[in-house]
Amino acid sequence: MYAVDTPPQKTAEPARPEPRRVNRVRRRSQRDARTAWLLSLPTLLILAALLAYPLYRMIVLSFQNMRLRELITGLTPPWVGLDQYTKALTDGVFWGVVARTAAFTVVSVTISVLLGLGIALLMRRVHSKVRLFMMIAMMFVWALPALVAAQAFRWLTDSDFGVLNYLIDKIPGVDFANHSWFVNPWEGWAVITTLVVWAGIPFLAISLSAGLTQVPKELLEAATVDGASAWQSLRNITLPILKPLLTIVTTLSVIWNFGLFTQNWALRDGHPEPVYQTLATFSYTQAFGQSRYSYGSAISVITVLLMLGVMAFYIRQMFKIGEVD
Amino acid sequence: MARHDEGVITVGRSRAGTVAANTAGIIFGLFMLFPVYWVLNTAFKPEAEVKSFSPTFLPQSPTLDNFRSALGEELFIPAMINGLIITAMAVAAALVVGFLAALAIARFQFYGRKAIILIVLAVQLVPFLALLIPLFLMLQRAQLTDSLPGVALVYLVLLLPYTVWTLRGFISGIPRELDEAAMIDGCTRAQVFWKIILPLTGPGLVATSVYGFIQAWNEFIIINTLNSPENQNLMAWLLYNQTERGTAWGPLMAGAIITSIPVVIFFLLIQRNIATGLTAGAVKG
Repeated sequence: MYAVDTPPQKTAEPARPEPRRVNRVRRRSQRDARTAWLLSLPTLLILAALLAYPLYRMIVLSFQNMRLRELITGLTPPWVGLDQYTKALTDGVFWGVVARTAAFTVVSVTISVLLGLGIALLMRRVHSKVRLFMMIAMMFVWALPALVAAQAFRWLTDSDFGVLNYLIDKIPGVDFANHSWFVNPWEGWAVITTLVVWAGIPFLAISLSAGLTQVPKELLEAATVDGASAWQSLRNITLPILKPLLTIVTTLSVIWNFGLFTQNWALRDGHPEPVYQTLATFSYTQAFGQSRYSYGSAISVITVLLMLGVMAFYIRQMFKIGEVD
Repeated sequence: MARHDEGVITVGRSRAGTVAANTAGIIFGLFMLFPVYWVLNTAFKPEAEVKSFSPTFLPQSPTLDNFRSALGEELFIPAMINGLIITAMAVAAALVVGFLAALAIARFQFYGRKAIILIVLAVQLVPFLALLIPLFLMLQRAQLTDSLPGVALVYLVLLLPYTVWTLRGFISGIPRELDEAAMIDGCTRAQVFWKIILPLTGPGLVATSVYGFIQAWNEFIIINTLNSPENQNLMAWLLYNQTERGTAWGPLMAGAIITSIPVVIFFLLIQRNIATGLTAGAVKG
């Protein structure tokens, strides 16, 4: 992407200059390399100490059995081999959590991306003042801290004084006074999904609407003149051009939503019932609620492994698209 | 905003369709804003109006009591100060350390450069909560739990990859010819750094630190796990506040507003950078 970034060695090669110059170039590039590594060193050391090492410790921990006793006494926890993993993989509760997290991810990402795309397309059709209003509304939602948004939704859906029950109750023949949204898990998950979609739309719609400006309008007009329907134009012109961007934002949404914690944690008062547990909250509760640090670690390791494919895909896309030169 | 109009398609559009689209756009905007509006509405209501079975859509007798009682809570002001200290430490450290690495990636060709880029990208995707268990045990052993520097250290790692990645983009944007011209004129590498790259990266440093501030300010799970109630930040205060003795919705919403104000202002200031940052490459195509 950046032409100026071509490695200096390459420019020296085809000209085959006299040996002394080659030496000088090599010496300079060696000195450059040393400077570059020196500059990167603090970052690499910090990442090694506070990211790579904990990652290694997490894996080690998952083969041990660390409980509160070991935490207090500082004794080395007993080694238990694959016990934590066997325990997780043979536990119906754990599989329930995995299935729930996966199902939530699929549903919430599908809805978010489709809605985000719809809003982005809608923004192309509306009056410029309406578009400005939509932009401002989305910016406010995007700016809101996740926990504040979750608290707002907890208040909206409060069983006693929540405005949602009040409004629904107004529909003739419907009794929603004191309705509790989290008794029925389907309803509870509908609230959580609405919150996540609502909070996720601004990023998706604004990114995608930026992407839509890349679609040449001459192409769309020509298609319309030739009798293509709106749907045909969308499918055959807009979506193919938007595809790389759609792939990136979808991948990011999958990574974010799979790690759901804040929303179900806050909406369930910091004590999610089993039916509201996701992999992130489950691992956390096992470790810090029940002092099963090793079991929690094993679940985290499994979570990371499950995500590895998606992450690798994201990084490959970034390299392919050329964001990384 | 007006420049978006260039791309609007006018061929084959019905008037009724445009009216429908405008209506849908307005409804969507109102739907998005409703929760925000309701937080504001609640925060200015007296307790009797908050705890009402038929809530009103504007406070009948507006009051600042909720803000007063939130600010008056024993741990609110300390939490605010803690948050500012932790955030400042983490952002400053991330900026200094991250800038050096960004400089290396953006301005030098060297063996291992691609590997460093890969690490910086990959690390941003690691679910950080997964690392909380070993981090907690490490900090516990180093006796850094229940302290502000301990949390700041964890936040530093949280911010660093993003900082490196964003600053790299800003430095790459400075024409390399400037460096070369300066070096031909007799500047050393260090002088180029001080006199050209650092001043020109100024806006980038501001944008990156503002984003870092938002990240650190919004975090509550890590600090809630590592520290006792006395050493929390405002977000964690919002969480704590809900679990004790039922919820005092009025003060909670007022506290939420106070907590959000700096974030919202900062976010709106740098929104252009955020919107393009994550997907810049994809848009360029």
